[in-house]
Amino acid sequence: MTAISDHPTSSDASPGGISRRSFLKWSAVAGGGVALVSGTRQLGLLPGAGLSASAQEEASGVETIWSSCNVNCGSRCPLRMQVADGRVVRVLPDNTGDDALGSQQVRACVRGLSYRQRLYSPDRIKTPMRRVGERGSGDWEEISWEEAYDEIADSMKRIIEEYGNEALYLNYGTGTLGGTITSSWPPISTPFSRLFSLAGGYLNHYADYSTAQIQGAVQYHYGGWIGSNSLDDAKNANLVVMFGNNPFETRMSGGGEIYVSQQTREQAKVKTIIIDPRYSDTAMGLGDEWVALRPGTDSALVAGMAHVMITEDLVDQEFLDRCCQGYDDEHLPDGVPAGSSYKAYILGDGPDGEAKTPEWAAPITGVPAGTITRLAREIATTKPVLINQGWGPQRHVNGENQARAIFTLCALTGNVGIPGGGTGEREGSYGLPLANPFVIDNPVEASIPVFAWTDAVEKGPEMTATNAGVRGVDRLEVPIKFILNYASNALVNQHGDINRTIELLKDDSKCEMIVNVENRMTVSARYADIVLPDTTNAEQMDLASQGSAGNMGYAILASQVIEPLYDCRTVYEMCTELAKRLDIEEEFTEGRTQEEWIRHILDASREDIPDLPSFEDFKEMGIWREPNPPEVGYVPLQDFREDPEEHPLPTPSGRIEIFSSELWEMAETWELPEGQRITALPEHLSMQESAEVARSDDTYPLQCIAHHVKQRTHSTYGHIPWLEEAHPHVAWIHPWDAEERGIANDEKMYVFNDRGRIRVSARVTNRIAPGTVSVPHGAWYEPDEQGVDVGGSPNTLTSWLQSPIHKGNAQHTMLVQVERA
Amino acid sequence: MATQLGFYFDQTRCNGCKACQVACKDKHDLPVGVTWRRVAEHGGGSWQSDGDTFSPSVFATYMSTACNHCERPVCAEVCPTTAMHQRDDGVVAVDDDLCVGCRYCEWACPYSAPQYNAELGSMTKCDLCTDYREEGLEPACVAGCPSRALDWGPIDELRERYGDVDAIEPLPDPAITEPRLVITPHRDAQMTGSGTGTIKNPLEV
Amino acid sequence: MFTDLSMVVFTVFAQMSVGAFIVLGAVQVYARVQGGRSAEDVDRVTDPALYAVGVTLALGLIASIFHLGTPMNAINVLRHVDSSWLSREIAFGLAFAGLGFVFAATQYFKWGSAALRQALAALTALVGVGLVVSMSMIYASLDAVPAWSTWVTPAQFAITTLLLGSLAVGAAFMGTVMWRRRQAADEEAEEPTTDAGDLETISTSLKGIAVASIVLLGAAFVVIPLHLNELSQGGAAAVASAEVFSGAMFALRLALVFLGAGLLGFFVYRFAARMESNPQPLAVVATVAFGLVFVGEFIGRSLFYESMTRIGM
Ligand SMILES: Nc1nc2c(c(=O)[nH]1)N[C@H]1C(S)=C(S)[C@@H](COP(=O)(O)OP(=O)(O)OC[C@H]3O[C@@H](n4cnc5c(=O)[nH]c(N)nc54)[C@H](O)[C@@H]3O)O[C@H]1N2
Ligand SMILES: Nc1nc2c(c(=O)[nH]1)N[C@H]1C(S)=C(S)[C@@H](COP(=O)(O)OP(=O)(O)OC[C@H]3O[C@@H](n4cnc5c(=O)[nH]c(N)nc54)[C@H](O)[C@@H]3O)O[C@H]1N2
Ligand code: SF4
Ligand code: SF4
Ligand code: SF4
Ligand code: SF4
Ligand code: SF4
Ligand SMILES: [Mo]
Repeated sequence: MTAISDHPTSSDASPGGISRRSFLKWSAVAGGGVALVSGTRQLGLLPGAGLSASAQEEASGVETIWSSCNVNCGSRCPLRMQVADGRVVRVLPDNTGDDALGSQQVRACVRGLSYRQRLYSPDRIKTPMRRVGERGSGDWEEISWEEAYDEIADSMKRIIEEYGNEALYLNYGTGTLGGTITSSWPPISTPFSRLFSLAGGYLNHYADYSTAQIQGAVQYHYGGWIGSNSLDDAKNANLVVMFGNNPFETRMSGGGEIYVSQQTREQAKVKTIIIDPRYSDTAMGLGDEWVALRPGTDSALVAGMAHVMITEDLVDQEFLDRCCQGYDDEHLPDGVPAGSSYKAYILGDGPDGEAKTPEWAAPITGVPAGTITRLAREIATTKPVLINQGWGPQRHVNGENQARAIFTLCALTGNVGIPGGGTGEREGSYGLPLANPFVIDNPVEASIPVFAWTDAVEKGPEMTATNAGVRGVDRLEVPIKFILNYASNALVNQHGDINRTIELLKDDSKCEMIVNVENRMTVSARYADIVLPDTTNAEQMDLASQGSAGNMGYAILASQVIEPLYDCRTVYEMCTELAKRLDIEEEFTEGRTQEEWIRHILDASREDIPDLPSFEDFKEMGIWREPNPPEVGYVPLQDFREDPEEHPLPTPSGRIEIFSSELWEMAETWELPEGQRITALPEHLSMQESAEVARSDDTYPLQCIAHHVKQRTHSTYGHIPWLEEAHPHVAWIHPWDAEERGIANDEKMYVFNDRGRIRVSARVTNRIAPGTVSVPHGAWYEPDEQGVDVGGSPNTLTSWLQSPIHKGNAQHTMLVQVERA
Repeated sequence: MATQLGFYFDQTRCNGCKACQVACKDKHDLPVGVTWRRVAEHGGGSWQSDGDTFSPSVFATYMSTACNHCERPVCAEVCPTTAMHQRDDGVVAVDDDLCVGCRYCEWACPYSAPQYNAELGSMTKCDLCTDYREEGLEPACVAGCPSRALDWGPIDELRERYGDVDAIEPLPDPAITEPRLVITPHRDAQMTGSGTGTIKNPLEV
Repeated sequence: MFTDLSMVVFTVFAQMSVGAFIVLGAVQVYARVQGGRSAEDVDRVTDPALYAVGVTLALGLIASIFHLGTPMNAINVLRHVDSSWLSREIAFGLAFAGLGFVFAATQYFKWGSAALRQALAALTALVGVGLVVSMSMIYASLDAVPAWSTWVTPAQFAITTLLLGSLAVGAAFMGTVMWRRRQAADEEAEEPTTDAGDLETISTSLKGIAVASIVLLGAAFVVIPLHLNELSQGGAAAVASAEVFSGAMFALRLALVFLGAGLLGFFVYRFAARMESNPQPLAVVATVAFGLVFVGEFIGRSLFYESMTRIGM
């Protein structure tokens, strides 16, 4: 996720009149953060345990040291690691703070508590290795660090020489987030970015696997990221509606959004409706009503509701007139023909001539027309309504329009910019504006959509601004020739269509060098030329910025807990050694050690956060909190709503663009793949492998999504015995679909399409809509002799399909068939 | 009789994350297969379809349980060696030196609380983190629950504060062991014996 | 299947021992009261079987050790006799074994008076009954296991005890007859190998055993449907348990017991009459019958353990 600086709206212009400071502090996108963190070795004290406990610790030779869990789960937790004889013997949750929102204890989730098994996993990579034989053959030779550094530096030099810096690529990878030195994403804030930039730069990417489509949507709709009202602001609402938002599984920290939403619900008892193909844990724990729909059809559902609201005169006409562009024909930009407005689209007065009645939406979404009508009335007549979406609805081929349709619902009901309302984006949260002086600019301008790197390896120079969303340049000069894959399994396992990706990578005349910096022998590491064993965060110090935690800001000073295991080294050391060979060591280190950088970052951050403790105090404390006043939730666009003239949005019209002028133009100028469309309005689009296609496809009649699950954070924390036991990998299937195929709960089944076949245990459950299966993402691809992926990775089934606008990963869009195994 | 200890579980807050389970495993170094605290998913309900549309009417809940340090600990009653015993504070624990590993207590307990450790050849189970409590710390599962869904304490106090519900599916009839357990039930909780739902994750409990 | 092999071996062998001991007692009483034979004469018939009982029980007890995770602590299992049926089972088991051993020794060395030995035998049998009762209470007292906590458990254990006990005794008698004949043939002896009175006793016993097994078979076929019916009326755990009693193994088990007990009942009358001249057919039938029922009961006991589904979670 996302550091705010990486998002289109995080540039200097603060959207919606939010002041720079408050904009920085309110990170609209949870989970990442411009983080800065480093750690130092810290002698732990066990606050709350009292003297006797520390005394006892000393006597027993057990020390407690603050560390953190730095994976990409949208939360961020301190971990108190107990060490004896240089080994971590226990991992304890935070024991500071309290239960009140704003100062809540940040208790680690089930994964963080099993950290010990990840740290000491048998798949830890122990020494640098070079591939022998074909890429992916699995044959390796151990090499020395010197050899590894020399070979990588030589390869970089040669490729820069031969193809230019644009041929170098830092792949998306979010295995270690939140830290400053050990941050693996966004590329700009990684140590490799600093190194490569000093060496002339590298091909950049924009957006991320999490939010590509919604980023594309906000850019044209609101002009950039603004977030929706924070979850604690639900206390000001009279109804909460969440589309595919699942904090109970995707924000699991005991200081994170699950806790914020639970506590808020207990206090305010506001009715909550969850719209999701699955009866998610959030639907169970937070929801009062569950609306089950087919994946990728939220835009149709919203259209059906809009029809009710418009025909029954329930829309907030004043807000639409004053703050939005293109709701009705009277508010279209000049030069756009009548019938191009949203109202015309809904009422059937537009080019398609079809009224988007609830009866029209029902068969598309699966939601009965009566339910759509009832929902529409309830949402339109209750004030205010907090509306937000997770990122499930947008991780589809029609994801931009999905996201925009939900934003539009907020405009229709006039809920934007008010307490208890929402923008339809994902919840915002408070965040500390930590500085990051370690980051420098990348001299290369060219940037590709995050998911398009396989295209860039295959046919780089064919990719242009209008056929592939290339930015910074009109066309790529060269294909990607060198990939540095740091803390990433997106080289193979997390990318689409694993089998196809492997075919591409096997051809080492295409991408000539792949370096993988990892802790564990992952699926992606199998396809590298050189593998470098990184230390985990328990083996080094870093400063970790917070995760999404409602209105609480915090940071963690994570100390080094144990000496590096095996022959592992820190990335800072790796980069320093490579810099030495590229003659940029001085520039890279600026004469600082890792700890000195962390001190420097803390000092620099103190400008914006004056209360930040000293390095020494921070080490003792482990976690430091700065609560926002708890009454204040995050309410974006209040200024804009009050006075859109004075506080315009950074859209061409300065208004919320239900009709986007830029998209209107792109619809004309962009070259799209067969079957795809860009629309100025948030129309419901049925494109490749959509719900509509599924209903007429006899070969692959089931829609398949890949929800994020409790066992893993993506593939990280996969293959951890305690976690596999607690949360086995099971694919959800509706009893009707299972029965038809003779599959019983906990039996094995095949899920397959033309791209691949997986074998996975069935969770036959009425918690999922009929016609939809969900194979939780992050499972490790493991082909057997027949090529069946018995590890059950959903990306064996996904494709390289990209959404039309932001070229986002459509990883929840795929059609499959299921049979008994 | 000294104060009798028990557990409290707020089912309305539980998302089935199993942090409690793993906190316990980490604290007590438990191998896979030996799980002192387990979480069941219980659910049921049905769907209606009409043409191309469908509507659910389903329910699901999670239930986290360890040992309930019962008023009537059948595990200890049946144990031939007296290894399984109840202490003055109500905590039921296994004395390793006595246990013969016959697994009779395991058959007797309808909460699956006694968990056999084949490596040790003896029965093991939740002892309410005796050592932590002696140090003034919370039991690992209680301190580890991200949602603060668990609590422990003198059962009288827990009952006073939270009521006395303990007959929630998939738990057995409390008359069998008289568990020292108090539950705040989820809105979808089904009364024990209602037969309306089933355990959805049988291999995990 | 056979998940808890050591428990299956232990319970089946121990029950068979108790049953056999009781049946031997019955033969004694019957032969002496009805047949008017001397204690010495009857002992000649029953003693070999008695020693076999000892061996069987010892095997069962050894098997039970394998069930324990920490056999080193085995001595502790007697600590909770006041509360635990398992402690009681072991206590009765050891008492039965001990008394049986003493009794066998007195028989072998002809220590003490016949009356004293009889009293000892009666006491041993009583302890044996105690063993079977406590064994069944181990299971029948578990409220958490619906398949077990029913009157059916003691009923089935009793049936197994007597059925296997009788058939084992029958097989042992015929085995002894055949063994003696073989020995005599080897030694080319002149004398009849088994005395006519003994053969008479054996033939009568076998008829009795045949009748008993048919009655017990009938009882088993009454108890089983009642059990299944009871389970089907129970909660989810009970219903799940009942599934164990529906597969091929269950059918095989019924078939074996039916064949075994039925076979003996049917043929024993025909062959018993001709036994004096040619004991072989009866020996074969008695042994096969025992074998079939033994295997059937063994499977049945495995299914019994497999049916352990607890209520709750
Ligand atoms: N089908 C499907 N695919 C998806 C998604 C989906 O919903 N469906 N979701 C997508 C999304 S949202 C995302 S964000 C991506 C995530 O994809 P990735 O960013 O690739 O995330 P992970 O799979 O967790 O891989 C991170 C890697 O970092 C490694 N790692 C962890 N800690 C360290 C460290 O300290 N040092 C080093 N060097 N390595 C470390 C881990 O071992 C792991 O291999 O997946 C995407 N893929
Ligand atoms: N435990 C855990 N937590 C995580 C992660 C993890 O891997 N594990 N990953 C982290 C990362 S990087 C990210 S990006 C976030 C991901 O957060 P999200 O993208 O929000 O998570 P998903 O599970 O992909 O989708 C959320 C919900 O959307 C539903 N959904 C799917 N398609 C549709 C649709 O078309 N319409 C509607 N209404 N709902 C739909 C899914 O069933 C699911 O319940 O989670 C973060 N948190
Ligand atoms: S995975 Fe996320 S929620 Fe869990 S411990 Fe790590 S940072 Fe916290
Ligand atoms: S840790 Fe808490 S919320 Fe999670 S499963 Fe256990 S009791 Fe439920
Ligand atoms: S829950 Fe089970 S093990 Fe614990 S005291 Fe009650 S009967 Fe004994
Ligand atoms: S396994 Fe141990 S604790 Fe359990 S009944 Fe047997 S001896 Fe007692
Ligand atoms: S109290 Fe301690 S031993 Fe018992 S379940 Fe909780 S963590 Fe485990
Ligand atoms: Mo993500």
